[in-house]
Amino acid sequence: MEEVISVNNLSKRYGSTKAVNNLSFSVKKGEIFGIIGPNGAGKTTTIEILEGLRKKDEGEVLVLGMNPEKERKKLNNRIGVQFQATSIQKKMKVKEAIQLFGSIYDQNNTNNQIIKLLGLEEKMNKYFDDLSGGWKQRVTLALATLHKPDILFLDEPSMGLDPHARREMWSIIRSLRDEGTTIVVTTHYMEEAEKLCDRVAMIYNGELRALDEPNRLVEDISSQYVSFRSPDFPVEILKAMPDIMKVEHDELSDTIKVYAENLQSCSYLLFKEAEEGHYHISDFKFERGTLDDLFVHYLEGGQTA
Amino acid sequence: MTALWRLTILETKMFFREKVQVFWTFLFPVLMIWLFGSMFGNQDYGNMTFASYFVPSWIGVNIVTTAFFTLGTVLTGYRETGVLRRYQSTPIAPWKILFAHTVQGTVIFSLSAVVLIVFGSLMLDLHAPRYLGSTLIALVLAVAAFFPFALFITSLAKNTQTAAAISSLFLNLMLFLSGATFPLDAMPNVLQYVAKILPLYYVIDLMRASWNTGPIWEHQTSALVLLGISVVSIFLASKFFRWSGKNE
Repeated sequence: MEEVISVNNLSKRYGSTKAVNNLSFSVKKGEIFGIIGPNGAGKTTTIEILEGLRKKDEGEVLVLGMNPEKERKKLNNRIGVQFQATSIQKKMKVKEAIQLFGSIYDQNNTNNQIIKLLGLEEKMNKYFDDLSGGWKQRVTLALATLHKPDILFLDEPSMGLDPHARREMWSIIRSLRDEGTTIVVTTHYMEEAEKLCDRVAMIYNGELRALDEPNRLVEDISSQYVSFRSPDFPVEILKAMPDIMKVEHDELSDTIKVYAENLQSCSYLLFKEAEEGHYHISDFKFERGTLDDLFVHYLEGGQTA
Repeated sequence: MTALWRLTILETKMFFREKVQVFWTFLFPVLMIWLFGSMFGNQDYGNMTFASYFVPSWIGVNIVTTAFFTLGTVLTGYRETGVLRRYQSTPIAPWKILFAHTVQGTVIFSLSAVVLIVFGSLMLDLHAPRYLGSTLIALVLAVAAFFPFALFITSLAKNTQTAAAISSLFLNLMLFLSGATFPLDAMPNVLQYVAKILPLYYVIDLMRASWNTGPIWEHQTSALVLLGISVVSIFLASKFFRWSGKNE
């Protein structure tokens, strides 16, 4: 697959804080690439360096074969950007904004399909300021895609949207991908990364912690465990069992989570102990972790994948 | 239509959608002249009438209000809310944005001047400028000096509130100390010197003169001062133009 973005050993400092530290990754043509991490992890800085809005300190960045700092004008014709905070003039009508942004680009084939896709026809005569958060996001998404960009950058596109609007936003983003646009999206919603992205780069403190397809990431051993409920199973016995990595005990709900290298043999021992000691086990499950779990794991553990 | 004209027309339209701003720009000066006229209308202004003394100077004041509030403060707001940053990620050149706002400001200022002149003629017996060419040149110089000046000064502010505060400070200083609203002769000597530091003083000098007594070349100093402010401000405004309040 063709690479449309390549980042090598990128670093960026603000004063003495390292916002981005030695980051390397590449984005393939036609994928939805997620950059995930907690607030302040360096997501926005990274994406803004790719867009040419910020200057890097070190490393190499190529977007569509161009250097974003030096060839921003040329690059701007071929990328679309949606910022985290929605930002057009308050008293501008939706229709006016679409006409204005349409006229800015060289390509004179304004993408009217996107307006239909986003259902903006009914809002064309509304002032931007009078729209709800979800509609504002739709308008700024439309403005970012009018000129059919090769790459679309979305910074937290579903921030502040209700679950329904979020799902709609995902399906719109997917259909843009299906039309051939490469999409780079930042998010701190793990669910979004899991359901929307084809590949995910997890960053924390400006460093890359993991990079893979979401379902591969969660297959990571550290995010698999068995869980069960028991009012009387002694946690000490569990902790003494071989190969146990971690035991979490929630006393309020009597839920116990056991992380182990080999979940099958761990389960066997667990039930054996329960039978011999007459402890009650209910709600036993093999759990496949979510990105959320993996995320917390990296945050707590701090080790590099 | 090109992006440049579309943006210019849109910005002008959007100005008229802000009703409060429309009031301050168009009606406030008329109210003030009417108020001052009813208080000081019968005083002696040498060979000028109240109207031909004050209407030209209020036209000058309107250049300042337009420069600082319609242009400067609004652009600072755009910088603060990310409107400019949004443009930064499109192929549009920065000069086009500044040009659109300059044209918009000129249109709005011209309308406000027409409002004042019509009011003056109907209510206060204002006569037409005696040296019309000079008046027009004076206006062009004043716009060329004040628009970039205000854009530069307000671009130093981090947010709209600060920009508005700076603008109000400049406006009030000039309103009361440059001779626009109170005759300078009536002020203490010190304040008469202070007046000469304020750029508006030179606008008013040119406006009053060309309206009543003599053409612009009899007031070369004032014209040169404005030209100087214009050149320096355009340089500073373009050198320090920023897309966003954040550092890169």
